[in-house]
Amino acid sequence: MLRHFARNYDSLAAIYEFAETILADHEIGEAVRFPVHLAMEELFTNMVKYSPDSDGEIGVDVVVDGGAVTVTLTEDDVDEFDVTRPRDVDTSASLAERTPGGLGIHLLQNIVDKLEYEYQNRRSRVIFTKESGYQHVRD
Amino acid sequence: MFEIDYGDDGEVMCSGRLDASQCAKAQSFMDEIADTRTLDFSRLEYISSAGLGILLKTQKRLAESGSALRITNVNNHIYDVFRYSGFNAIFDIKAKE
Repeated sequence: MLRHFARNYDSLAAIYEFAETILADHEIGEAVRFPVHLAMEELFTNMVKYSPDSDGEIGVDVVVDGGAVTVTLTEDDVDEFDVTRPRDVDTSASLAERTPGGLGIHLLQNIVDKLEYEYQNRRSRVIFTKESGYQHVRD
Repeated sequence: MFEIDYGDDGEVMCSGRLDASQCAKAQSFMDEIADTRTLDFSRLEYISSAGLGILLKTQKRLAESGSALRITNVNNHIYDVFRYSGFNAIFDIKAKE
């Protein structure tokens, strides 16, 4: 199901409700819903942050197939920003060495099972999939 | 919706979803913390990198005066976010029992 959202952080609550309705209808458990919501927010806020000159809405498409959730975010008339490119994030850095920012894409790349990026004619499209069977990483 | 306030014992009670749209509210509260303080996450359902940024900024500021944030009652999903971010090494974090 596809819906479009205004390009600002205030859309996050509506995006959450939109996805939550679909995921609940398909009885997707919390272990998948949490990373799906997190990945959606990190991508959406990234699009808002890095394409400030674009005033177009952002399309969010949520599809459930079996236990797998696939989400596609699409925006038009933007510069290329490949979210699949590895980021140089040192998660072992000390508190003194740390600076806020840069964790969003790192988190995204770690919590989804599949992440794709397409860029053509100034249209940017990110597709991610999260499947059931997610395991927590607790020590 | 995200809520933050002091509990009966001086701990900071956080509840709801700490996403990018709630950061101004969280940052405003955190900016007033001046000493070592425990954040109770027992009713916090969700946090994103935007929320992590606020925790990091506050922890760095408090460290300058020898103070720190401690975080307790963290659910499994939020704990995963801390782990992937390496925050489990720079915060004293206790999981939800």
